[in-house]
Amino acid sequence: MEKRVKEVMSKIFNVDVNKIGDDASPDTIEDWDSLHHMNLILALEDEFKVVFSDEQINEMLNFKLILIVLRELLESKCSKQK
Amino acid sequence: MNSVKKYLSSVDISSIASLISAVDHVSALNVSFDKSASISFLRNFTIEGIEPYIKYHLYMSDIKPNIVFGNYNTVHQEVLDGNSHLYSSPADVIVLSLMLEQLDAECRAPNWSAGKTKEQILQLFDLVASKSSALIIVNTFIPPFYSNLGIASSSLLSGGEEITELNESIRDYVKGHSGQFFLADWERFIRITGEGKGIDYRYWYMSKAPFKKDFLNLYALEIVKIVKALKGYVKKCLVLDCDNVLWGGIIGEDELNGINLDKNDYPGRAYYDFQMSVLHLVERGVSVVLCSKNNEEDVWNVLDHHPCSLIKRSHLSGWRINWDNKVDNLISLANELNLGIDSFVFIDDDPSEYELVKRYLPEITVLQVPTNLYTYPQLLFREGLFDALNISTEDKQRSVMYQAEAQRRQEKSRFENLEEYLASTELSAVIHLARDHEIGRVAQLTQKTNQFNLTTRRYSERDIRDFCSDPAWAVYSLTAKDKFGDYGLTGVLIARHEGEEGIIDTLLLSCRILGRRFEISLVEHCFRDLEDKWNIKRWKAEYIPTKKNQQVANFWNSVGSKQVEEINGTRSYFMERGGLKSENTDFIKVIGD
Repeated sequence: MEKRVKEVMSKIFNVDVNKIGDDASPDTIEDWDSLHHMNLILALEDEFKVVFSDEQINEMLNFKLILIVLRELLESKCSKQK
Repeated sequence: MNSVKKYLSSVDISSIASLISAVDHVSALNVSFDKSASISFLRNFTIEGIEPYIKYHLYMSDIKPNIVFGNYNTVHQEVLDGNSHLYSSPADVIVLSLMLEQLDAECRAPNWSAGKTKEQILQLFDLVASKSSALIIVNTFIPPFYSNLGIASSSLLSGGEEITELNESIRDYVKGHSGQFFLADWERFIRITGEGKGIDYRYWYMSKAPFKKDFLNLYALEIVKIVKALKGYVKKCLVLDCDNVLWGGIIGEDELNGINLDKNDYPGRAYYDFQMSVLHLVERGVSVVLCSKNNEEDVWNVLDHHPCSLIKRSHLSGWRINWDNKVDNLISLANELNLGIDSFVFIDDDPSEYELVKRYLPEITVLQVPTNLYTYPQLLFREGLFDALNISTEDKQRSVMYQAEAQRRQEKSRFENLEEYLASTELSAVIHLARDHEIGRVAQLTQKTNQFNLTTRRYSERDIRDFCSDPAWAVYSLTAKDKFGDYGLTGVLIARHEGEEGIIDTLLLSCRILGRRFEISLVEHCFRDLEDKWNIKRWKAEYIPTKKNQQVANFWNSVGSKQVEEINGTRSYFMERGGLKSENTDFIKVIGD
């Protein structure tokens, strides 16, 4: 999953996927402004077939936080399916 | 360039990440594009999400995009501030993108009235038009999805009538300013996407970004259609195969009663509806021709006798129904119709045929009959291939004229000597300064004419209107006629002068009247007229080469001008007053003012 998130980030921010570290955040990626953030969220929704709530979007402020929210969401989706 | 198009066609644009990375990839490539287009957004909400969609569709059309977004919700300031992006880098197209909710937060209130907002919007339209000569694209608003009265409502819209009426006023405004204003009809887009795939309420409240990707894509496509028409990318001729294109099945085998073409049954109804779409294009002035491998009499049998064949022989501007290769047939059709082959759209069901055409004639747009036949009837409209900025009466008559052309060609073969032939056709030309009602057609000709066009300068209606009212400029129109029929307004000459020097800015003829020496009559008449009026001592003219206007490369030499220089193919000429020398045009009767 981490790799897929980084690949999406690489496409949205137009940077090499190898240059996206686990510490990636608006401080390390120049283009990460509010408009790019919106595209990132929409692209992650495409990629993982999920929908984030407004609260989740406001939490997903860097790579690590994105992973936390995404995991939570995918787990609850999984358990619902069971 | 074809490789860019090929690459982009393989991209899944329903994935935002793929779309954005594809567009970034193309803009980083070092390739040159045929044209460029600059688009400025004046907006009162977050619309930046549309950018990759516009870029994608422009790149697909060989146009390099330059898109500028004005600041968030500062429309009036930017229009009034002489230093804003509108004036520092003038755009080809201004997109005035307005959300009603941002203009008036009360707009969903019970008993809200649109009166004040309507006035405000129309004033803003006037203001933008007064400050810029760019094309202006405005939008309608999205009426409420649900009735304020719930199930007690007796009308479809309860609570939304004010908004639909406001939309009507916007459409009326655009109709009344058809040279400069164009519509991106949000009310229509939302009908296509529906609420669920059109509106992102979450981002509307969080970031004032209300549209989902399906809506953004439709909006972008509409803008790009308008840009393409402005830049002269208009398809003029539809070439159709017959079997499994105009009807289902093979006429040579299934015979008249066996083919699928029907008002009731599927798939016959899909072919019937497709023919209906073609009929709409004929009505718009698109030339429709057949190019198929059949026995000719089989095809006429369907067109003349099948009760559900909407397309009749009289709708066709030409045909090649034979067993020769389609590439040769297409080239000879292009010659016959005097149309550039890049203005052709070709529809076939046979993969080997369209691959062959794609390969040898890459400039033709090739469409395949879709496997899902139920999507076939709308195929020709979705992409707006034939969209022109306006539809003039000449367009509507064009297919009739091409038919007369077929007769003309027959007569031509009876005469050996061209002049003798031309004299027998009773040519006449009405030439005068363009009148008010002709301005739309003159602008359209500057946008659409590619072959006989010395400088290929594209002008909007607004530009032409400005030239007409400027005493240093003159815009002449030529309306041609012969014994076979009327050609309508088909020639334009635009000149200006600096002191005693006259400059030919534009000289063009529609391909309908080529080869009859009308161009010489036009130049003769205008020179004579202006030499006295402006006290001209000498004339200056030029030829600017494009991919399509080689046939006029030597025009100015042929009428006695002296070439003074050539830079990057652009040739400049001088001619002393009265220096015009040319072939005989006595057989053309010229009627001036």
